[in-house]
Amino acid sequence: MSTTEKSAPSGNSNSLSLDWWAVIVALLLALAVRFDVLKNVPW
Amino acid sequence: MASSTSLPRVGSDNRLLDALGMVPGVLLLAGIGYAAKILERSVNAYAKAQHWTFPNIEYVLWAILIGLVLSNTLTIPKVFQSGIATYEFWLKLGIVLLGARFVLADVLKLGGISLALVVVEITLSLALMTLLGRLFKLKPKLTSLLAIGSAVCGVSAIIAAKGAIDADDEDSSFAIAAILALGALSLFTFPAIAHSLHMNDVSYGLWAGLGVDNTAEATAAGALYSDAAGKVAVLAKTARNAMIGFVVLAYAIYWAGRGQAERVTNKAAFLWKKFPKFILGFLVMSVLVGFHWFSKGQVTSLGNLSKWAFLLTFAGVGLRTNFREMSQQGLRPFIVGALGEILIACLTLGLVVGANRIWGL
Repeated sequence: MSTTEKSAPSGNSNSLSLDWWAVIVALLLALAVRFDVLKNVPW
Repeated sequence: MASSTSLPRVGSDNRLLDALGMVPGVLLLAGIGYAAKILERSVNAYAKAQHWTFPNIEYVLWAILIGLVLSNTLTIPKVFQSGIATYEFWLKLGIVLLGARFVLADVLKLGGISLALVVVEITLSLALMTLLGRLFKLKPKLTSLLAIGSAVCGVSAIIAAKGAIDADDEDSSFAIAAILALGALSLFTFPAIAHSLHMNDVSYGLWAGLGVDNTAEATAAGALYSDAAGKVAVLAKTARNAMIGFVVLAYAIYWAGRGQAERVTNKAAFLWKKFPKFILGFLVMSVLVGFHWFSKGQVTSLGNLSKWAFLLTFAGVGLRTNFREMSQQGLRPFIVGALGEILIACLTLGLVVGANRIWGL
Protein backbone atom coordinates (compact mmCIF):
# COMPACT_ATOMS: atom_id res chain seq x y z
CA MET A 1 0.00 0.00 0.00
CA SER A 2 2.75 2.27 0.98
CA THR A 3 4.17 3.23 -2.41
CA THR A 4 1.00 4.30 -4.13
CA GLU A 5 -0.39 5.94 -1.06
CA LYS A 6 2.88 7.53 -0.07
CA SER A 7 4.36 8.80 -3.28
CA ALA A 8 1.42 9.36 -5.62
CA PRO A 9 -0.53 11.73 -3.39
CA SER A 10 2.56 13.66 -2.32
CA GLY A 11 3.53 14.42 -5.92
CA ASN A 12 -0.08 14.93 -6.69
CA SER A 13 -1.14 17.16 -3.83
CA ASN A 14 1.26 19.82 -5.10
CA SER A 15 -0.10 19.77 -8.60
CA LEU A 16 -3.63 19.52 -7.21
CA SER A 17 -3.28 22.66 -5.18
CA LEU A 18 -1.50 24.44 -8.04
CA ASP A 19 -4.36 23.53 -10.39
CA TRP A 20 -6.99 24.70 -7.95
CA TRP A 21 -5.06 27.91 -7.24
CA ALA A 22 -4.94 28.64 -10.97
CA VAL A 23 -8.71 28.08 -11.22
CA ILE A 24 -9.45 30.24 -8.16
CA VAL A 25 -7.20 33.13 -9.28
CA ALA A 26 -8.63 32.96 -12.82
CA LEU A 27 -12.21 33.06 -11.52
CA LEU A 28 -11.36 36.01 -9.24
CA LEU A 29 -9.84 37.84 -12.19
CA ALA A 30 -12.92 36.99 -14.27
CA LEU A 31 -15.16 38.44 -11.53
CA ALA A 32 -12.98 41.57 -11.37
CA VAL A 33 -13.31 41.99 -15.13
CA ARG A 34 -17.05 41.22 -15.10
CA PHE A 35 -17.78 43.84 -12.44
CA ASP A 36 -15.44 46.43 -13.98
CA VAL A 37 -12.85 46.39 -11.19
CA LEU A 38 -10.39 45.59 -14.01
CA LYS A 39 -11.26 47.51 -17.15
CA ASN A 40 -9.73 47.43 -20.64
CA VAL A 41 -6.70 45.31 -19.77
CA PRO A 42 -4.06 46.37 -22.31
CA TRP A 43 -1.75 44.15 -24.29
CA MET B 1 -3.76 24.46 23.75
CA ALA B 2 -0.80 26.72 23.46
CA SER B 3 0.92 24.48 21.01
CA SER B 4 -2.23 24.04 18.92
CA THR B 5 -2.64 27.81 18.56
CA SER B 6 1.01 28.53 17.91
CA LEU B 7 1.60 25.80 15.30
CA PRO B 8 -0.77 27.17 12.65
CA ARG B 9 0.79 30.60 13.11
CA VAL B 10 4.22 29.16 12.41
CA GLY B 11 2.74 27.45 9.34
CA SER B 12 1.17 30.63 8.03
CA ASP B 13 4.38 32.60 8.72
CA ASN B 14 6.23 30.01 6.64
CA ARG B 15 3.67 30.30 3.87
CA LEU B 16 4.04 34.09 3.92
CA LEU B 17 7.83 33.75 3.77
CA ASP B 18 7.51 31.24 0.93
CA ALA B 19 5.25 33.64 -0.96
CA LEU B 20 7.64 36.55 -0.37
CA GLY B 21 10.54 34.35 -1.49
CA MET B 22 8.85 33.97 -4.89
CA VAL B 23 8.72 37.72 -5.53
CA PRO B 24 12.27 38.15 -7.01
CA GLY B 25 11.81 35.25 -9.43
CA VAL B 26 8.34 36.39 -10.49
CA LEU B 27 9.73 39.91 -11.06
CA LEU B 28 12.51 38.36 -13.18
CA LEU B 29 9.89 36.48 -15.27
CA ALA B 30 7.86 39.67 -15.67
CA GLY B 31 10.97 41.69 -16.52
CA ILE B 32 12.05 39.22 -19.22
CA GLY B 33 8.52 39.06 -20.57
CA TYR B 34 8.21 42.83 -20.76
CA ALA B 35 11.67 43.15 -22.34
CA ALA B 36 10.51 40.61 -24.96
CA LYS B 37 7.48 42.72 -25.77
CA ILE B 38 9.62 45.86 -26.10
CA LEU B 39 12.17 44.00 -28.27
CA GLU B 40 9.43 42.69 -30.57
CA ARG B 41 8.09 46.20 -31.13
CA SER B 42 11.39 48.05 -31.39
CA VAL B 43 13.32 45.52 -33.51
CA ASN B 44 10.46 45.27 -36.00
CA ALA B 45 10.06 49.07 -36.12
CA TYR B 46 13.82 49.55 -36.59
CA ALA B 47 13.97 46.93 -39.37
CA LYS B 48 11.02 48.61 -41.10
CA ALA B 49 12.59 52.07 -40.79
CA GLN B 50 15.86 50.75 -42.29
CA HIS B 51 13.92 48.95 -45.09
CA TRP B 52 15.46 45.64 -44.02
CA THR B 53 13.90 42.32 -44.92
CA PHE B 54 13.81 40.92 -41.40
CA PRO B 55 11.62 38.10 -40.08
CA ASN B 56 8.96 39.21 -37.62
CA ILE B 57 10.30 37.80 -34.33
CA GLU B 58 7.43 37.61 -31.88
CA TYR B 59 7.59 38.30 -28.15
CA VAL B 60 7.21 34.54 -27.51
CA LEU B 61 10.55 33.79 -29.13
CA TRP B 62 12.27 36.81 -27.56
CA ALA B 63 11.09 35.76 -24.08
CA ILE B 64 12.34 32.19 -24.58
CA LEU B 65 15.65 33.35 -26.09
CA ILE B 66 16.38 35.86 -23.29
CA GLY B 67 15.64 33.15 -20.72
CA LEU B 68 17.80 30.61 -22.57
CA VAL B 69 20.74 33.01 -22.83
CA LEU B 70 20.52 33.94 -19.14
CA SER B 71 20.23 30.37 -17.86
CA ASN B 72 22.99 29.02 -20.11
CA THR B 73 25.55 31.81 -19.66
CA LEU B 74 25.04 32.88 -16.04
CA THR B 75 24.37 31.08 -12.81
CA ILE B 76 20.91 32.23 -11.78
CA PRO B 77 21.12 33.15 -8.06
CA LYS B 78 19.13 30.94 -5.68
CA VAL B 79 16.96 33.86 -4.61
CA PHE B 80 15.21 33.72 -8.02
CA GLN B 81 14.64 29.94 -8.17
CA SER B 82 11.32 29.58 -6.31
CA GLY B 83 9.80 32.47 -8.28
CA ILE B 84 10.98 31.03 -11.60
CA ALA B 85 9.28 27.74 -10.64
CA THR B 86 5.93 29.58 -10.61
CA TYR B 87 5.95 29.55 -14.42
CA GLU B 88 3.76 26.44 -14.18
CA PHE B 89 1.18 28.36 -12.18
CA TRP B 90 1.15 31.15 -14.82
CA LEU B 91 0.74 28.51 -17.52
CA LYS B 92 -2.32 27.02 -15.84
CA LEU B 93 -3.76 30.45 -15.05
CA GLY B 94 -3.26 31.43 -18.71
CA ILE B 95 -5.01 28.27 -19.92
CA VAL B 96 -8.04 28.78 -17.63
CA LEU B 97 -8.34 32.41 -18.77
CA LEU B 98 -7.92 31.35 -22.39
CA GLY B 99 -11.20 29.44 -21.98
CA ALA B 100 -12.89 32.86 -22.32
CA ARG B 101 -11.66 33.09 -25.90
CA PHE B 102 -13.36 29.86 -26.95
CA VAL B 103 -17.02 29.52 -27.76
CA LEU B 104 -18.26 26.27 -26.23
CA ALA B 105 -19.24 24.94 -29.66
CA ASP B 106 -15.63 25.36 -30.82
CA VAL B 107 -14.38 23.61 -27.69
CA LEU B 108 -16.75 20.71 -28.36
CA LYS B 109 -15.91 20.50 -32.08
CA LEU B 110 -12.14 21.00 -31.90
CA GLY B 111 -11.93 19.27 -28.51
CA GLY B 112 -13.83 16.28 -29.95
CA ILE B 113 -11.51 16.07 -32.96
CA SER B 114 -8.51 16.53 -30.63
CA LEU B 115 -9.73 13.77 -28.30
CA ALA B 116 -10.18 11.34 -31.19
CA LEU B 117 -6.66 12.14 -32.44
CA VAL B 118 -5.27 12.03 -28.90
CA VAL B 119 -6.50 8.45 -28.39
CA VAL B 120 -4.73 7.36 -31.60
CA GLU B 121 -1.61 9.41 -30.74
CA ILE B 122 -1.36 7.97 -27.22
CA THR B 123 -1.76 4.39 -28.43
CA LEU B 124 0.88 4.81 -31.15
CA SER B 125 3.29 6.73 -28.90
CA LEU B 126 3.11 4.19 -26.07
CA ALA B 127 3.70 1.29 -28.47
CA LEU B 128 6.55 3.07 -30.25
CA MET B 129 8.42 4.20 -27.14
CA THR B 130 8.06 0.77 -25.54
CA LEU B 131 9.49 -0.83 -28.66
CA LEU B 132 12.40 1.65 -28.82
CA GLY B 133 13.11 1.23 -25.10
CA ARG B 134 13.36 -2.55 -25.58
CA LEU B 135 15.53 -2.19 -28.70
CA PHE B 136 17.97 0.10 -26.85
CA LYS B 137 17.79 -2.08 -23.70
CA LEU B 138 16.70 0.73 -21.40
CA LYS B 139 15.50 -0.20 -17.91
CA PRO B 140 11.79 -1.22 -18.16
CA LYS B 141 10.58 1.47 -15.75
CA LEU B 142 12.61 4.16 -17.51
CA THR B 143 10.99 2.99 -20.76
CA SER B 144 7.55 3.26 -19.09
CA LEU B 145 8.32 6.81 -17.93
CA LEU B 146 9.57 7.88 -21.36
CA ALA B 147 6.50 6.32 -22.99
CA ILE B 148 4.12 8.09 -20.58
CA GLY B 149 6.00 11.40 -20.94
CA SER B 150 5.94 11.35 -24.73
CA ALA B 151 2.40 9.98 -25.04
CA VAL B 152 0.60 12.26 -22.59
CA CYS B 153 1.89 15.43 -21.10
CA GLY B 154 5.59 15.52 -20.50
CA VAL B 155 6.98 16.33 -17.11
CA SER B 156 3.73 16.30 -15.11
CA ALA B 157 2.84 12.86 -16.50
CA ILE B 158 6.28 11.53 -15.55
CA ILE B 159 5.95 12.95 -12.03
CA ALA B 160 2.43 11.51 -11.71
CA ALA B 161 3.61 8.11 -12.94
CA LYS B 162 6.79 8.00 -10.86
CA GLY B 163 4.94 7.40 -7.61
CA ALA B 164 2.31 5.16 -9.12
CA ILE B 165 4.78 2.70 -10.69
CA ASP B 166 7.42 3.07 -7.96
CA ALA B 167 10.17 4.23 -10.34
CA ASP B 168 13.66 5.39 -9.26
CA ASP B 169 14.46 9.09 -8.87
CA GLU B 170 17.30 8.58 -11.35
CA ASP B 171 14.96 7.11 -13.99
CA SER B 172 12.49 9.93 -13.65
CA SER B 173 15.16 12.62 -13.89
CA PHE B 174 16.54 10.90 -17.05
CA ALA B 175 13.06 10.87 -18.57
CA ILE B 176 12.31 14.47 -17.54
CA ALA B 177 15.64 15.71 -18.96
CA ALA B 178 15.02 13.94 -22.28
CA ILE B 179 11.48 15.29 -22.57
CA LEU B 180 12.59 18.85 -21.68
CA ALA B 181 15.52 18.84 -24.13
CA LEU B 182 13.31 17.57 -26.93
CA GLY B 183 10.61 20.10 -26.02
CA ALA B 184 13.17 22.90 -26.36
CA LEU B 185 14.18 21.60 -29.80
CA SER B 186 10.56 21.36 -30.94
CA LEU B 187 10.11 25.09 -30.26
CA PHE B 188 12.36 25.78 -33.22
CA THR B 189 11.65 22.80 -35.49
CA PHE B 190 7.82 22.63 -35.40
CA PRO B 191 7.13 26.21 -36.63
CA ALA B 192 9.87 25.91 -39.29
CA ILE B 193 8.45 22.65 -40.68
CA ALA B 194 4.88 24.02 -40.58
CA HIS B 195 5.93 27.17 -42.48
CA SER B 196 7.62 25.07 -45.15
CA LEU B 197 4.42 22.96 -45.48
CA HIS B 198 2.20 26.11 -45.51
CA MET B 199 -0.01 24.63 -42.78
CA ASN B 200 -3.09 26.57 -41.71
CA ASP B 201 -3.43 27.78 -38.10
CA VAL B 202 -5.87 25.09 -36.96
CA SER B 203 -3.89 22.19 -38.46
CA TYR B 204 -0.62 23.49 -37.05
CA GLY B 205 -2.16 24.18 -33.63
CA LEU B 206 -3.49 20.60 -33.52
CA TRP B 207 -0.09 19.25 -34.55
CA ALA B 208 1.76 21.27 -31.89
CA GLY B 209 -0.77 20.19 -29.24
CA LEU B 210 -0.43 16.53 -30.21
CA GLY B 211 3.28 16.39 -31.03
CA VAL B 212 4.97 18.58 -28.40
CA ASP B 213 5.07 16.87 -25.02
CA ASN B 214 5.26 19.47 -22.31
CA THR B 215 2.29 21.83 -21.95
CA ALA B 216 4.43 24.99 -21.67
CA GLU B 217 6.44 24.10 -24.81
CA ALA B 218 3.29 23.09 -26.73
CA THR B 219 1.70 26.45 -25.83
CA ALA B 220 4.84 28.31 -26.87
CA ALA B 221 5.27 26.29 -30.10
CA GLY B 222 1.67 27.13 -31.03
CA ALA B 223 2.00 30.83 -30.16
CA LEU B 224 5.25 31.04 -32.16
CA TYR B 225 3.24 30.26 -35.32
CA SER B 226 0.26 32.56 -34.71
CA ASP B 227 -2.19 33.64 -32.03
CA ALA B 228 -4.92 31.41 -33.53
CA ALA B 229 -2.55 28.42 -33.73
CA GLY B 230 -1.58 29.01 -30.09
CA LYS B 231 -5.25 28.78 -29.02
CA VAL B 232 -5.77 25.49 -30.88
CA ALA B 233 -2.48 24.07 -29.56
CA VAL B 234 -3.63 24.74 -25.98
CA LEU B 235 -6.99 23.08 -26.64
CA ALA B 236 -5.42 19.98 -28.22
CA LYS B 237 -2.82 19.76 -25.45
CA THR B 238 -5.55 20.14 -22.81
CA ALA B 239 -7.47 17.24 -24.36
CA ARG B 240 -4.24 15.20 -24.19
CA ASN B 241 -3.65 16.21 -20.56
CA ALA B 242 -7.16 15.00 -19.68
CA MET B 243 -6.04 11.44 -20.48
CA ILE B 244 -3.18 11.44 -17.95
CA GLY B 245 -5.14 9.53 -15.28
CA PHE B 246 -6.11 6.68 -17.61
CA VAL B 247 -2.57 6.14 -18.94
CA VAL B 248 -0.93 6.32 -15.50
CA LEU B 249 -3.59 3.98 -14.08
CA ALA B 250 -2.95 1.45 -16.86
CA TYR B 251 0.79 1.49 -16.10
CA ALA B 252 0.18 1.30 -12.33
CA ILE B 253 -2.01 -1.81 -12.86
CA TYR B 254 0.61 -3.34 -15.20
CA TRP B 255 3.48 -2.86 -12.72
CA ALA B 256 1.33 -3.93 -9.75
CA GLY B 257 0.49 -7.12 -11.70
CA ARG B 258 4.23 -7.83 -11.92
CA GLY B 259 4.60 -7.20 -8.20
CA GLN B 260 6.77 -4.12 -8.72
CA ALA B 261 4.31 -1.42 -7.63
CA GLU B 262 1.52 -1.19 -5.12
CA ARG B 263 -2.04 -2.15 -6.07
CA VAL B 264 -4.52 0.65 -6.81
CA THR B 265 -7.60 -0.13 -4.73
CA ASN B 266 -9.91 2.76 -5.62
CA LYS B 267 -9.60 3.43 -9.36
CA ALA B 268 -12.16 6.26 -9.47
CA ALA B 269 -10.33 8.14 -6.69
CA PHE B 270 -7.03 7.51 -8.47
CA LEU B 271 -8.39 8.95 -11.75
CA TRP B 272 -9.81 12.01 -9.98
CA LYS B 273 -6.50 12.60 -8.17
CA LYS B 274 -4.55 12.53 -11.43
CA PHE B 275 -7.07 14.59 -13.42
CA PRO B 276 -5.68 18.10 -14.16
CA LYS B 277 -8.28 20.28 -12.45
CA PHE B 278 -7.42 23.44 -14.37
CA ILE B 279 -9.25 21.87 -17.35
CA LEU B 280 -12.48 22.31 -15.37
CA GLY B 281 -11.69 26.02 -14.97
CA PHE B 282 -11.06 26.29 -18.73
CA LEU B 283 -14.48 24.72 -19.43
CA VAL B 284 -16.25 26.95 -16.85
CA MET B 285 -14.79 30.05 -18.55
CA SER B 286 -15.94 28.84 -21.94
CA VAL B 287 -19.46 28.13 -20.61
CA LEU B 288 -19.65 31.60 -19.00
CA VAL B 289 -18.72 33.23 -22.33
CA GLY B 290 -21.28 30.98 -24.06
CA PHE B 291 -23.98 32.37 -21.75
CA HIS B 292 -22.87 35.95 -22.65
CA TRP B 293 -21.85 36.65 -19.07
CA PHE B 294 -19.06 38.92 -20.36
CA SER B 295 -19.27 41.78 -22.84
CA LYS B 296 -17.06 41.75 -25.94
CA GLY B 297 -14.62 44.19 -24.30
CA GLN B 298 -14.46 42.04 -21.17
CA VAL B 299 -13.66 38.93 -23.23
CA THR B 300 -10.80 40.90 -24.82
CA SER B 301 -9.57 41.87 -21.34
CA LEU B 302 -9.65 38.22 -20.20
CA GLY B 303 -7.79 37.20 -23.37
CA ASN B 304 -5.15 39.84 -22.66
CA LEU B 305 -4.79 38.66 -19.04
CA SER B 306 -4.23 35.17 -20.43
CA LYS B 307 -1.50 36.53 -22.74
CA TRP B 308 0.24 38.21 -19.78
CA ALA B 309 0.17 34.95 -17.85
CA PHE B 310 1.63 33.10 -20.86
CA LEU B 311 4.32 35.76 -21.23
CA LEU B 312 5.64 34.85 -17.77
CA THR B 313 5.41 31.17 -18.71
CA PHE B 314 7.51 31.63 -21.85
CA ALA B 315 10.19 33.48 -19.87
CA GLY B 316 10.19 30.54 -17.43
CA VAL B 317 10.52 27.99 -20.27
CA GLY B 318 13.75 29.68 -21.36
CA LEU B 319 15.08 30.12 -17.84
CA ARG B 320 14.64 26.51 -16.75
CA THR B 321 16.23 25.07 -19.92
CA ASN B 322 19.87 24.43 -19.11
CA PHE B 323 21.60 22.46 -21.85
CA ARG B 324 24.68 21.77 -19.70
CA GLU B 325 22.61 20.06 -17.00
CA MET B 326 20.65 18.10 -19.60
CA SER B 327 23.81 16.84 -21.32
CA GLN B 328 24.94 15.33 -17.99
CA GLN B 329 21.90 13.06 -17.87
CA GLY B 330 23.21 10.44 -20.29
CA LEU B 331 22.89 9.83 -23.99
CA ARG B 332 20.87 6.63 -24.38
CA PRO B 333 17.55 7.84 -22.91
CA PHE B 334 17.99 10.99 -24.97
CA ILE B 335 18.53 9.01 -28.20
CA VAL B 336 15.47 6.84 -27.49
CA GLY B 337 13.45 9.97 -26.68
CA ALA B 338 14.71 11.80 -29.78
CA LEU B 339 14.03 8.88 -32.12
CA GLY B 340 10.60 8.37 -30.59
CA GLU B 341 9.77 12.07 -30.76
CA ILE B 342 10.78 12.35 -34.42
CA LEU B 343 8.59 9.36 -35.29
CA ILE B 344 5.71 10.66 -33.14
CA ALA B 345 6.02 14.10 -34.79
CA CYS B 346 5.74 12.42 -38.22
CA LEU B 347 2.82 10.26 -37.09
CA THR B 348 0.91 13.17 -35.56
CA LEU B 349 1.58 15.26 -38.67
CA GLY B 350 0.05 12.45 -40.72
CA LEU B 351 -2.93 12.29 -38.32
CA VAL B 352 -3.53 16.04 -38.60
CA VAL B 353 -3.24 16.02 -42.40
CA GLY B 354 -5.72 13.12 -42.45
CA ALA B 355 -8.10 14.95 -40.09
CA ASN B 356 -7.82 18.04 -42.28
CA ARG B 357 -8.94 15.99 -45.28
CA ILE B 358 -11.84 14.40 -43.37
CA TRP B 359 -13.14 17.33 -41.34
CA GLY B 360 -11.72 20.28 -43.32
CA LEU B 361 -10.02 22.00 -40.38
